[in-house]
Amino acid sequence: MKRRLVPGTPLAPRPRSLFPVWLAAVLALLWLIVHHLGISFETLGYGVTDMGEYFSRYGRPDFGDLPSYLRLMAVTLATAFWGTVFALVVAFLLAPLAARNLSPHPLVFRATRELLNVMRALPDLLLALFFVAAIGLGPMPGALAVGVPTAGFLAKFFAESLERVDAGIYEGLASTGANFPQVVMYAGWPSILREALGFTLYILDRNVRMASVLGLVGAGGIGAALHVTLSLFDYGRSAALILVMLVTILLVDYASAWLRRRLA
Amino acid sequence: MTKGWNWRWPTRSGLPPLAAVAAVAGVLLMLWLTAPLVEIDLHRILGSAGKMAAFAGDLMVKPDWKYLPQLFWKMVETMEMSFVATSIALVVSLPLGLLAARNATPHVLVYRVIRDLLGLLRAMPELVWALVFVSAVGLGPLAGVMALAIVTVGFMSKFFAESIEVVDPKQVEGIAAHGAGWIQVRLFGMLPQVLPDFVGTVMYVLDHNLRAATILGFVGAGGIGFDLIMSVRLFQYDRLLLIAGSIYLVVTALDHLSNRWRSRIIHGAAA
Repeated sequence: MKRRLVPGTPLAPRPRSLFPVWLAAVLALLWLIVHHLGISFETLGYGVTDMGEYFSRYGRPDFGDLPSYLRLMAVTLATAFWGTVFALVVAFLLAPLAARNLSPHPLVFRATRELLNVMRALPDLLLALFFVAAIGLGPMPGALAVGVPTAGFLAKFFAESLERVDAGIYEGLASTGANFPQVVMYAGWPSILREALGFTLYILDRNVRMASVLGLVGAGGIGAALHVTLSLFDYGRSAALILVMLVTILLVDYASAWLRRRLA
Repeated sequence: MTKGWNWRWPTRSGLPPLAAVAAVAGVLLMLWLTAPLVEIDLHRILGSAGKMAAFAGDLMVKPDWKYLPQLFWKMVETMEMSFVATSIALVVSLPLGLLAARNATPHVLVYRVIRDLLGLLRAMPELVWALVFVSAVGLGPLAGVMALAIVTVGFMSKFFAESIEVVDPKQVEGIAAHGAGWIQVRLFGMLPQVLPDFVGTVMYVLDHNLRAATILGFVGAGGIGFDLIMSVRLFQYDRLLLIAGSIYLVVTALDHLSNRWRSRIIHGAAA
């Protein structure tokens, strides 16, 4: 039946929306949480001028120790690089097993996916704590700590890309009698090469950020220095360290974004 | 096919392509050059096998069950921190995302400035912000919430802006043709189109923030991280095991939930 639009015909009822109910529930929950956490945003409000004064202390960066900061940053970058290469190698080996359409057996697929989930679940710093406890201080446990979770991420990304590859490409190769490694090497990786490089650059980018805080748990790099200068209330040096970090991270960010654009 | 490099693989000759060989050689050279910086030492890795086994042995202790209630509340605090930070960031990111989208911004200059500002917010890891905020507002969850919120605003606004930039312009024009004002065009022309994307982004960010919140306590910014680092420093392995296990459980549970909800909302299985 066609509805006639003549003046006076009542409009169709407005669809019922539960949005206000949800909003009210979320706001109530927030209110409860803020109380439970004991956060008082009022003090923040009163303290705006104090905050201005506080951040002005960072106004005069003290670059007296610049060479040592740059060395620490280089250690951080090297840690991220080693972690990323570790992740890349592990992901290269695990990804084909974790792709549903390539995996030699559904059980292998499930087991590999679960392994990847476990690798991704624990935060880098927690792993760094474990590795420092097990191997000792220094950047090497740091490289392992950024490498393990990112191996999980990379392998998952690669596996998902491998699953999206046109089935005909795999079949074409398999029909020539290629075995599993041959299908992976000559049909799988070539099809996703660019995508995979893009993911790897993105992961390198992320690892530089993560590696810069690993020093907090004794895993080398620039993070520990910042922790020390801040606990000594040495704002000049802290500002210098933050600037060195910020500039490096932004440079790596731009370089990887530029490379990814070239690849796309 | 960039710069005439041979990316094709397999090659006609059956040998690996030149570009791949060059890339692998370059990476190996870089690894070799940076090895002293990372203090890579095969002897140490091999020698630490025993230490690792001993450490793993240390972990095999009876968990300290009496610690469970405290652990539960610390975990709740961690989740609360990520929830509050995500909510604050959401409120800030909605307008910022609009200003940072090329097709919704009032002026190109505003777009550029906001985009660069967001880049700065994203640049530093949460933990560095947490260090600064602990030093500014003192120990406790407030510093952690602020650190999380700042980084999250950077990410969320960028994601929002990117989803707004790919809306279908026809619907926007249709709304504008009715004489809708600046706000109305964005509210009724753009927002309905990007809503599923936004919900997906919020879920992803919530997930990310929970992971980040578990370690903020390392610097005293609230949450489970403080107990975690103390249990390592004091060799309380009976607690360490419980804490690591609970982090693993909560993170994977939220991961599964957010994946499920995201795919439901984006693919509209039960819209």
